[in-house]
Amino acid sequence: MNVEISDLTRRFGRHQAVAGVSLQAGPGVFGLLGPNGAGKTTLLRMMATVIPPTTGRLRLLDRDPATHGPRREVRRRLGYLPQNLGYYPGFTVAEFVEYFALLKEMPAARVPAAVATAVERVDLSGKAKAKLRTLSGGMLRRVGIAQAIVNEPELLLLDEPTAGLDPEQRVHFRALLRELGQRATVVVSTHLVEDVGAACTQVALMDQGKVVFDGTPGELTARGTEQGTGDAPLERGYTAVLAAARA
Amino acid sequence: MSGLRNDAPDDVDLGRAWISVAAQVWRRQPGWLERTAGRLLRSPGLARALLTTPSLLLPWLLTSVVVLAAGAAATTDSGQPLVALLAPAVAAAAIAYSYGPGIDPAWELACSMAVSDRMVLLVRALAVFAVNAVLGLAASAVSAVSVSGPANGTAAAVTFGWLIPMTAVCAFALAVATVARSANAGAAAGVAAWLIIVLSGRVASGHFASAVTDTVLFLPYLAIGAGCAVVAVYATRIPRGTL
Repeated sequence: MNVEISDLTRRFGRHQAVAGVSLQAGPGVFGLLGPNGAGKTTLLRMMATVIPPTTGRLRLLDRDPATHGPRREVRRRLGYLPQNLGYYPGFTVAEFVEYFALLKEMPAARVPAAVATAVERVDLSGKAKAKLRTLSGGMLRRVGIAQAIVNEPELLLLDEPTAGLDPEQRVHFRALLRELGQRATVVVSTHLVEDVGAACTQVALMDQGKVVFDGTPGELTARGTEQGTGDAPLERGYTAVLAAARA
Repeated sequence: MSGLRNDAPDDVDLGRAWISVAAQVWRRQPGWLERTAGRLLRSPGLARALLTTPSLLLPWLLTSVVVLAAGAAATTDSGQPLVALLAPAVAAAAIAYSYGPGIDPAWELACSMAVSDRMVLLVRALAVFAVNAVLGLAASAVSAVSVSGPANGTAAAVTFGWLIPMTAVCAFALAVATVARSANAGAAAGVAAWLIIVLSGRVASGHFASAVTDTVLFLPYLAIGAGCAVVAVYATRIPRGTL
């Protein structure tokens, strides 16, 4: 298993953002669904080793990221797209992706080809030399995805990756997700239920810091046959599980 | 690409050829400074991170040069040791702005990278300190002659006496920035602390320069600098153990 989490918690002052989450994920696309404030982003930030858990056990790529050496090794093999992608406006697309390839300690000789591949995969070849300040929100999101995949990560963590993408780009992105999920563990946090239905092999639903459902998209759909509300079957499953968790 | 692909022989991988061409065309040639830093630090990533330090970017450097040059000019005209009093405050603000959150737009991403954020901070802080020390020394050298005399201490003391206080004030600014996770808080604390020291010296001894000429203060300065460095290191740690 590339991700092994048990009883993970994270507290910010008095606020319990993540309250005892246990999950396991191997290769494939893992969808993390939930309403705003459910704890998805905090969970993803812990998995990205940006913040440590308050309590619980976290193992990534068969390593314990709490200690320096294993954490560095995990980070070399990790890709992360944060919810709010900060960027340097004066960098070009290629420079930005290259910067993070270097910070991931990729061998310098491999970097130019890796950058070109990542930029091509997110369909930004025509903008590779464009300054980031000139790009639209959707393009910036794709730049963020490019830096996340530049090192061919074994664990890829994407927080709201389709925010700002137009429908055509979202279709293209879901195909990319499925391709990446062939050999890596891809964890996608999203509000968009249709993204999960189209690309994910496993899905967890979070609410108030806890996982209230863990299974396949088909199993989530099945939960909504009687009492869920929504336009699509998966949406009905989503609302039914949330309603049951809050009852 | 798809049209070309259809026309190409089966044994020609046009996708691979395109990536090779794109890699060469988009390749960035690092400047001499980045290459040198990369060799010294033995890490191209760390060198690149160093050159993105907010307070080493051109607008900031120009501002520092202008402030210290104005201080040197004022010192030469008035005989008051303005460079000695300005240099620690300018350096403290610059050091605080070498820290990431709120200033470095890609800080969240940088925190998930193999090149550790603490190492990036250390390298950036040292570089900013060195650059500001050099700028301060240059400004001091220009104005050294005019600040000599019994009322203001010896020229040498005023010219170089600010280096130790600057170390302490910079360490304090860095410690506050890392604890508060705010560069603005660090800069404000560093500048305020230096202002209090200078004004206290003025009240106690009757002249502003005592903050940099009074050798009795050097040991406390060094102790404060060391203590604040420890605080900064502690504040940037990732706690061991998740159980």
